[in-house]
Amino acid sequence: MALQDLSLRECALTPRVTHLKQIYFRAMPEICVERPRLITRYSLDHGLFNRDRISILDKARMYRFVLENRLPIVSHTCSYEKGMKPFEFVEDSLFAGSTTTRFKGVPLYPELMALALWPELSTMSKRASNPFQITEAEAKALNEDIFPHWIDGTILELARKRAQNGKPAYSASERDLLELKLLQWLVFFLVSKPNCISHTIPDFNKAIGAGLRSMVEEAAGRAAAAADPSQKEFCQAVAEVLEGVIGYSRRLADKADSMALTEPDPVRERELLDLAKIHRRVPEYPAQSFREGITTVWICWTAIHLENPNVGLSLGRLDQVLWDLYRRDLEAGAISVEDAVELICCLWLKIGDHVPMIPETGEQLFGGSGSNQAITIGGVDRDGRDAVNDLTYVMLRATELMRLRDPNLNARYYPEVNSRDYLRRLCEVNITTGATPALHNDRAVIKALTSKGDTLEQARDYGVIGCVEPGSNGRSYGSSASILLNLTSALELTLFNGRHRHTGLDRLISIETGDPAQFRTFAEFETAFENQTRWLIDRAVALNELLGRVHQDFYPTPILSALFEGPMDKGRDLIQGGAVINSSGATIIGLADVADSLSAVRRVVFQDQAASFATLLDAIRKDFAGYETLRRRLTNQGRTPKYGNEDADADGTVTRIVELLDKAFGAKTSYRGGRYRVGYWTMTNHAGFGRLMGATPNGRKASENFTSGITPVSGVTPCLTKALNSVAGLPVQCLSNGVALNLKYTPEMGHPNRMLNSFVATVEGYFDGRGGQSDGGMEIQFNVTTHDSFADAVAHPEKYPELLVRVSGYTAYFKDLNPQMQKEIIDRTEYLLSTGRMVFYEPFPLPQGRTER
Amino acid sequence: MSSWPRVAAWSPFRHVWPDRIGQWIAQRGCKPLSKELCGAATDAFLDLLLLGMDLFFRLSKSFRRNLDGFRGRYLFRTADDQVRSGVAFHDQRMELHPEGISDWDVRVSFKNVPALKSFLFSQDQDILNSLLRNEVEIDGNLSYVYKFAFMARDLKRRVGLQ
Repeated sequence: MALQDLSLRECALTPRVTHLKQIYFRAMPEICVERPRLITRYSLDHGLFNRDRISILDKARMYRFVLENRLPIVSHTCSYEKGMKPFEFVEDSLFAGSTTTRFKGVPLYPELMALALWPELSTMSKRASNPFQITEAEAKALNEDIFPHWIDGTILELARKRAQNGKPAYSASERDLLELKLLQWLVFFLVSKPNCISHTIPDFNKAIGAGLRSMVEEAAGRAAAAADPSQKEFCQAVAEVLEGVIGYSRRLADKADSMALTEPDPVRERELLDLAKIHRRVPEYPAQSFREGITTVWICWTAIHLENPNVGLSLGRLDQVLWDLYRRDLEAGAISVEDAVELICCLWLKIGDHVPMIPETGEQLFGGSGSNQAITIGGVDRDGRDAVNDLTYVMLRATELMRLRDPNLNARYYPEVNSRDYLRRLCEVNITTGATPALHNDRAVIKALTSKGDTLEQARDYGVIGCVEPGSNGRSYGSSASILLNLTSALELTLFNGRHRHTGLDRLISIETGDPAQFRTFAEFETAFENQTRWLIDRAVALNELLGRVHQDFYPTPILSALFEGPMDKGRDLIQGGAVINSSGATIIGLADVADSLSAVRRVVFQDQAASFATLLDAIRKDFAGYETLRRRLTNQGRTPKYGNEDADADGTVTRIVELLDKAFGAKTSYRGGRYRVGYWTMTNHAGFGRLMGATPNGRKASENFTSGITPVSGVTPCLTKALNSVAGLPVQCLSNGVALNLKYTPEMGHPNRMLNSFVATVEGYFDGRGGQSDGGMEIQFNVTTHDSFADAVAHPEKYPELLVRVSGYTAYFKDLNPQMQKEIIDRTEYLLSTGRMVFYEPFPLPQGRTER
Repeated sequence: MSSWPRVAAWSPFRHVWPDRIGQWIAQRGCKPLSKELCGAATDAFLDLLLLGMDLFFRLSKSFRRNLDGFRGRYLFRTADDQVRSGVAFHDQRMELHPEGISDWDVRVSFKNVPALKSFLFSQDQDILNSLLRNEVEIDGNLSYVYKFAFMARDLKRRVGLQ
């Protein structure tokens, strides 16, 4: 370690990065039709529509065609700003290439969910929140030449048709599978496979260290030697796509050369010639410099996005992957720390060159989300040694300077192995950025992963995926967002004997577990809840499995498989179980609300008999109208146990629920051969689902937000230490798909050192787990912005274009969030670190600035 | 749509006049539909919408491009079956089935006519939004609904309403 100042205060934004950042915030997202146009053309020319199966070699040839025919963009020159007015610029980034043809593009995947944009083609550039620019010609092309070919060929439709053959429909008059109906009703669960698998971390080590040419040769050699036809085909497919990636980089080099010929500015001419030189070398051959290493990562990244939607694809432990190249360059005097910070800033901007395709109403569930491209820094290496290095601090400084939504920076910290100075720096960046990085407790995470079968070395080498999900870097195909389960629906089905208020209480949805008004003991109610939960899990997993098998037949992934540990050795695609570690991930929405509801039922109905179950049911049906006294009782943490107060009853309920979910999901084996893992991070779904759900027994009124992640319910945990201890006391082996604990701190700008000291102390205490009595909390993330600033940002969003917030996992710009989500963030429990106590604010009114949907 | 038969009588000439003339004639024939789109929807809304769409397909070459190679059978109905209509697209044509249609590719069941109107046309809404409110239920291929919704909104634009 050569750094004297871990904060790198001397490193500021360079003129280049300042310029690029200004463009970045000025530019609006634009739909890119290049990918759908090329894959549609290829599929038509090669008869890939209406086949029973698409082979990995077919896919590989298609992606090679796309790579060889896509526009090589060295430097973007135009975009659109607010009001969809065009503006021009020169993108003088230190990296060439892009994921789309646009400066800030929206890539489309018609095989998946792009057709959901069809109704919006002529209106999406005018929509109230997060509009996408599209030209009339592009809308016409999508409507007439592209989308029609995919109308019967989306993954969801292929699954629906497959389900029709042989499985019972929901009822005699309806043809669709029950699981598909549950998905359509939206309140039970979401599954991500109609839109993506993605959520994983590729392995860049081989591409950087050996180069793609050597990987092509290895694949060709294995193909020639393979006796098994499917293995031979897989290896041929890998060679095909890697040739395509090499060709794309060479074309970028050609383009840069040709631009240099006409460039009047000698400085820019030199830069273009440098770019050309780099792209002639990498990723084909081993990277020899830090910049070449980053270029290799970046070009592979653009290729991966041609195949896999930009949802939760994550870059992993870049401070480890690039460390040797950085160190060698620095030691040789080839670069300075300032140069490195500039390179990382340019990479961060490149990573954010695309946004996910989200239909208008999708904004309610995923509003303001970027692509959730997580990068992981710090922690320990595979041998358990301190892995924090100078590059870790370079990346922290770049993050602090840029304050971007993507990448989503996640910092690992191993107590007593990593230094306290490092933790202090992590906390300091959280205060300066207000929202990043998220902090992960290595000790707890590694225990969680090994409890699910990862070896100690694999677990120590984990990276963070998407929001907060841990997975062994480059070797674990975790599909960590396969299922988003609304646990409050299991509670709803229990309360209404298999029926749901959203779909009508006259319609039996699940199994009848009895009328709660007739239950004599809390145990009967709890058993009913467990049965409804298991029923819901069975349905969600069945649908995920169906969709996974359709992916296997129609959506092979040769590019991602080529850049992953395992597939080459097994001769098998990732979606066929080629990874070293296979698992599927579920995340749970509504944990705290459900747990507090169960606690309330036990205390109020069965222990204190302050209200009968019939009365409670009537109260929640009427949204507590006429039952204000009962509601006050239910919401009073002094009289009704609430998770987050070190209350044994309340916290015990949470523990029983996470154990139930872990056991029920963990018993399932996925189509790729691995087990299901459970996590507690909600993105914005706790607001979306909350909007659709009726009142709950914990006193929450209809349509109010649920609580995010694994966080206790807002406003009922007055003491920060108790809240942290309650969360840290949960069994980490049941939380192996990651958790998001969201905390909000009042900035104490008058006493920065005191605040920083307290910040560090609370993280240490949380990770320590009541002095070692428990495993310690797995993850924690913060919003450090004043209540007044949030309120002002609601009223004047134009004043806060860069106000970064932690949602529940990912980071977002506050202005991009929908009104319900803005309210949820403002209403989160806020603590003053100097006192460790909650700061009281009246509930914030639902923002009305934009169309309320 | 009272004027529709008169206007449709012009359809044999559709290949000889410029697209804008066909659009202009179709627009005249869609006045009842425009009223429904601007005001409160009545039980006639669905029929008027389908008739208007049919008229534009007959008279507007550019709108007819939506039918290129498209085959699809739709059934629209209220949950109580009081309002019910079917439509089939095939061979560059739109075929209306006021009594409904069997063997549909997609069935759209809606709570009531305003819910259907909102489902297809509301500003800043999309199909998922109506599903969120549980006002509309889809059986079958959802992508066919996406296409229909695009055509309906395109029709709205062509009759002069944004």
